[in-house]
Amino acid sequence: MSAIVTGALLATTLPVNPGHAAMIATDAVGVAGTPSTAALRARLDAFLRRADVQAGLTRLGVPPVEAQARVAALSDAEVDLLAGRVADVPAGGDTAGLAGLVLLTVIVMLVSDVLCYTNIFQFNRCVLR
Amino acid sequence: MAAAVYTPGREGTLASDMIAAARRNGRVAVPVTSLPALLDELAAGNPVIVFQNLGLGFVPRWHYAVAYGYDLAAGRIVLHSGATERLATPLDTFENTWARSGYWGLVVLPPDRLPVTATEASALDAAAGIERARRPREAVTAYRTVLARWPDDLRAWMGLGNAAFAAADLAAAQAAFEHATVVVPAAPEAWNNLAYVFAAQGRSNDAVTAAQRAVTLAPPAQAQTYLDTLAELTHASP
Repeated sequence: MSAIVTGALLATTLPVNPGHAAMIATDAVGVAGTPSTAALRARLDAFLRRADVQAGLTRLGVPPVEAQARVAALSDAEVDLLAGRVADVPAGGDTAGLAGLVLLTVIVMLVSDVLCYTNIFQFNRCVLR
Repeated sequence: MAAAVYTPGREGTLASDMIAAARRNGRVAVPVTSLPALLDELAAGNPVIVFQNLGLGFVPRWHYAVAYGYDLAAGRIVLHSGATERLATPLDTFENTWARSGYWGLVVLPPDRLPVTATEASALDAAAGIERARRPREAVTAYRTVLARWPDDLRAWMGLGNAAFAAADLAAAQAAFEHATVVVPAAPEAWNNLAYVFAAQGRSNDAVTAAQRAVTLAPPAQAQTYLDTLAELTHASP
């Protein structure tokens, strides 16, 4: 079960938003090609801002604002690890159904584990040391 | 502060939270992960937070202490541990308990200082962490400290410019990005951000010229970002 869930998570990726006019963030300097860490940060941030994700975090005793602040202070390498666990789940309702809800819950639990709030999955080491 | 380091469900403070909390307080936090590095930091007068497992692998007893001195002749390291202000522990005992935590150690310093064992990458990580934690003034200081040791680091110049811009110090941001274009003349990032500084200063012609320079230098994969900047700044100028 654990291995299957992890595989499914790693196989799915979020679409990366096309670039838009802006200052180039320090983290993005000199990083060409493949999804930059800045894009991964944006992906994580968007994920943590979703209402259904915030509800899930709150149920686990994780204040969403605190989770965002922790993610903001992480290094690039740590963000790479964390972003790898966040997959695109349809937002609840429309296409999601029960399967989508279960998957979302599992992912919120994974993120909470990786952020070192919980230790639900034995295989999911709290990567932030 | 308590909310920043306390982790519900783990009944304690996790090492990663310490790094994040230090950065959110505008401090330079750099990991120390070997005994020689630990001794170098202590010799330089920098205390090191160490994570120990005083138990065994299968019955761990986790503990934080602060190492602040050593006596190699006597083979002892001096810790502030729990309520004990001065605990002189045999070095080999300490190394065993430290090894069982994976040699996790952390130096936390004000942003105008750097750990002696910091590498260019770890120092830059520490400064960028302060910038991301939205402490731009401390980040400016931290980047300047990094640049005093590694004056040719493009990311440090860019970070200095971005942090100064976030701190609304446009003159310092301009100087940093201009220096970045000297350090790495082919870096479109520096010209792109310089363009935004000029725009914020109301110098629209200079902004457009700098944005054009970024477009010229951009590798094909990133061209769109710089074209968007140029379009935005051209549109914004009278």
